[in-house]
Amino acid sequence: MIEISGLRKRYGKTLAVDDLSFAVEPGRVVGFLGPNGAGKTTTLRILLGLVHANAGQATILGKNYSQLERPFCQVGAVLEASGFHPGRKARNHLRVLARAGHAPEKRVDEVLAQVGLEGAAKKRVGGYSLGMRQRLALASALLGDPGVLILDEPANGLDPEGIRWLRDFLRALAEEGRAVLISSHVLAEVEQTVDEVVIINKGKLVAHGSVEELKRGVDGRVRVSSPQGKELEQELAKAGFEVSKDGDALLVAGATSAQVGELAAKSSFVLHELTPVATQLEDVFFELTSEEQK
Amino acid sequence: MIAALSSEWLKIRTTRTIFWLLFALAAIVTLFTVAGILTNNKESLTGASNQLDLIGIGVLSVLIALIMGLIVSTGEFRHGTITPTLLSTPSRPLVVISKAIAAVLLGVTLVAFAEVLVIAEMAALLPLRGIDFTLQGGDVARLLIRILAASAIWAGIGSALGLAFRNQIGTFVGCFAWLFFAEPLVQGILGSHWINSDAGRFLPLSSTGSIFNSANDNSANDMLSPWAGAATLSGWMLLATIVALVLLSRRDVS
Repeated sequence: MIEISGLRKRYGKTLAVDDLSFAVEPGRVVGFLGPNGAGKTTTLRILLGLVHANAGQATILGKNYSQLERPFCQVGAVLEASGFHPGRKARNHLRVLARAGHAPEKRVDEVLAQVGLEGAAKKRVGGYSLGMRQRLALASALLGDPGVLILDEPANGLDPEGIRWLRDFLRALAEEGRAVLISSHVLAEVEQTVDEVVIINKGKLVAHGSVEELKRGVDGRVRVSSPQGKELEQELAKAGFEVSKDGDALLVAGATSAQVGELAAKSSFVLHELTPVATQLEDVFFELTSEEQK
Repeated sequence: MIAALSSEWLKIRTTRTIFWLLFALAAIVTLFTVAGILTNNKESLTGASNQLDLIGIGVLSVLIALIMGLIVSTGEFRHGTITPTLLSTPSRPLVVISKAIAAVLLGVTLVAFAEVLVIAEMAALLPLRGIDFTLQGGDVARLLIRILAASAIWAGIGSALGLAFRNQIGTFVGCFAWLFFAEPLVQGILGSHWINSDAGRFLPLSSTGSIFNSANDNSANDMLSPWAGAATLSGWMLLATIVALVLLSRRDVS
């Protein structure tokens, strides 16, 4: 549904996107992750025809965005929370877009209700909170009832309730068979929402796969605490494990609970805690992006 | 095309800027008309040609039309609405053209508003001073068409320059610096005895002046005829539109 191949974009001396390729299938929610400046926004803007690529292709439903028959009704996008005239009322903002994008005007009230803004529809956007603007941006993306959604940091400015709402909302959209490509730096949120992730760094693809697949590639960690912490730390280091402090406890990377427990028993250390730490998407993210930086 | 134009027109109607500008235009026009009727002596207000001069104050809408044209397009960059605009209308030439047409329509609306106001005020106030309202339909129509043409073209120029240069304050300052300083200066240099060229007639402000040149005396001065003036000014609008088309199409919107 979304296909990016050999994409390259240069800004002066900086290569913002460097030979990037990946694809998004229908009915999938794909997280698009990377540190600040990794090239996420540039990639999404190229996909939407706002930025011109130096090389490669970025197509949606097999075509460039501007060549789609009714792009606004086929692809919905949230790019930034600032794309509103502060003096225009929310409902009018949507009416303006619906007219230009050939979306039926009745959709305006439907999407306002869908994002929970019907009560503030006649307020000027200048008086909106960041979270309300984000909902309005999402409403504009849904105006044309599109099959593909491209969302750049849609969780920005949402409160925890809003983030949970967004998560359920995106899942419901994907269940309807839409493809969703969502960039975010709130990794914990993405982890609960997406089917797969694409991780990029310095404009290059670092990893692409399901969250579980990527987690398997990252070593597990064990949290261990002991009144003989210093000695235990030395023993663990001697055995070749990477040890870091986590408050009074130690975090041992690349080890299983069994390995740490056996090592402690050999030296008769007293243990107060021995817990395997579940690998988070965050761990995968840092490992992959920092490896790349080395 | 219709969808993009209708969307542009709705944009203009749904912010308060247009209403502030209409208010400012009404206030200035009313001030000049009322002051003109109350302070001038009776003789200089009697007769069609004197009264036609009073209507001429509507020419202020040319300036307001330029300002509105600039606001309509630079506002897209100032508020970041250019992104949703290009997502709903991905064809950049279509954005430039629909904005230009919306601006031209806006220019026409501003003039119609200003002139209806002036004529209503004259019709109400002149009899109070015992003066007959003697304007001839044909003269009024001729003047109105000239003001309409100039306002419409300047609104189009404003819209195109705004899309080409994006920065609201910079484009405003540039436009007004050209109109009030640079063009008179260039005009002066071209007309000086060193160069002695009448090419200055083709500059934007001079060609605007030519539109209001009365048909009888165009041979007596170095202005273009009204038709040539309108054509030249339209040429400037076309040039500005082409520049906007080329720059907007090439640029990245980020």
